[in-house]
This record gives sequence, C-alpha cells and structure tokens, in this order.
Amino acid sequence: MKYLFLVTLMLSLSACYEDADVTMHQAGIYKGKVDNHSQTAEQREAILAERFGQVQTDR
Amino acid sequence: MAKMKFLCDEERCIECNACVTACKNEHEVPWGVNRRRVVTLDDGQPGEKSISVACMHCTDAPCQAVCPVDCFYTTEDGVVLHDKDMCIGCGYCFYACPFGAPQYPQEGAFGSRGKMDKCTFCAGGPEEDHSHEELEKYGRNRLAEGKLPLCAEMCSTKSLLAGDGDVVSELFRNRVVRRQGRQEAWGWDTAYNVK
Repeated sequence: MKYLFLVTLMLSLSACYEDADVTMHQAGIYKGKVDNHSQTAEQREAILAERFGQVQTDR
Repeated sequence: MAKMKFLCDEERCIECNACVTACKNEHEVPWGVNRRRVVTLDDGQPGEKSISVACMHCTDAPCQAVCPVDCFYTTEDGVVLHDKDMCIGCGYCFYACPFGAPQYPQEGAFGSRGKMDKCTFCAGGPEEDHSHEELEKYGRNRLAEGKLPLCAEMCSTKSLLAGDGDVVSELFRNRVVRRQGRQEAWGWDTAYNVK
C-alpha cells in the first residue's frame, strides 16, 4: 500500500513538470523566430512593384 | 531593395473608414483592437482633413528601440514586425510610438492587457507563411501572395498608398505637381468636373 501511494505520488508530481526552456535576453538582439520567405527580396520587390502598377495608380 | 511605406494623401481621403473595415475583416482583428483608424481634423468644417493612420513601419522604429525583450525585427522589405511569443505586453511600445499603432487585446477573466498587436503591412509574422499559427496570431500574409496591403488596395479614392517608398513618393509627387496647390476633394471644380 505504501509503495502504491509513493508511485501514485511520483506520477502525479511528474505531471507538474514545467518546461524551463527560457530565452535569455541580450540587449538589442532579436532572439525570436526567424521569418523565412519563399522568395528572395528582389523577387518580392518585382512582384509587388507590378502589383502596385495594377491596383494603386491614379485613375 | 524595396522599403515598404504607407502614405495617406489628405487631399483625397473622404473619411469613409473602408480601410479600417477592410483591415479588421481581412485579419479577423478582435473587438477593441484597431490596427488602422481614420483621424479627422476640423471635423465638419469646410476644408476638413482626414488621414488614415496605422503603423508607419518606421525605418528607425522607436517601438523597436524601447522594447525591453527585443521582440521586434525589420524584414528585408522594411516592414517592422514582432514575435508575439516573446512579447510580454508591457506597453512601452505604445508610449514610444508617435502614431498610436500598438494595440493590446484584453485577455483572461479580468481583462488584463494581452500581447501587443499592430499593423503588419499584411506581411504576417515570423511563423511559417500561410500557416494556421500565422493567421491566428498576425493575420493574413498578403505580401507572400504577391499582394499589397488590402487597406490601400481597396481605397476608393486612392488616397491611401502602400508600396515601395520610392514608387509611392514618385506617384505622390506627380499628384502634387498636377494639383498645383488646388484642393482635389472640395469645391465646385470637383463637383462639376471642371479640372
């Protein structure tokens, strides 16, 4: 009975585990997720310039 | 390399608030959060001026400078974005921003201040493009679809412009020269198409 209580206690306490994976801050350095793009900046620039010409020029 | 910028032509803005509605609808922005708003000066007086204001994606962004956890980053396109997983909702960026762009949704049972939300220039966030997480946290990523911000694209008077700063400024410069100091949105000339 004593062992059963201990096993139950250990299992229940193990559920209280908290992930301690913290990001250590360094002033002026972005440490968040990296924003990846499927196209290069030059490709995006060309596509968006064409789009601007289609929808935002003066009437 | 392109540096994306907004520009609102106050001579053309008719305060229809369609940009505000389009933004809220496109990104499913929650109640109480306005990524974009229309500000009117001398409301109701002849010569009143309105401009549509949101995050202006500053080149030297003050929000980025004051953030205590450095959750802001600037993309290659010059768009200022932030990682909501790092944001602690402290509110420093709100005090630093001259445009009042940062917004904070109420969270939890007691309505405490949540993580900061702002205009993303329809560029999503650091999550994977077109992923569910990106849509939920930051809204749609129109730039990855080859589109420009919806607020500007659907502006009926083409008052709000969004795109590469050089292209936008060139268009606006041509407008100013064409107007020659006259107003476009007020007066008989506009009503009877004399121009």
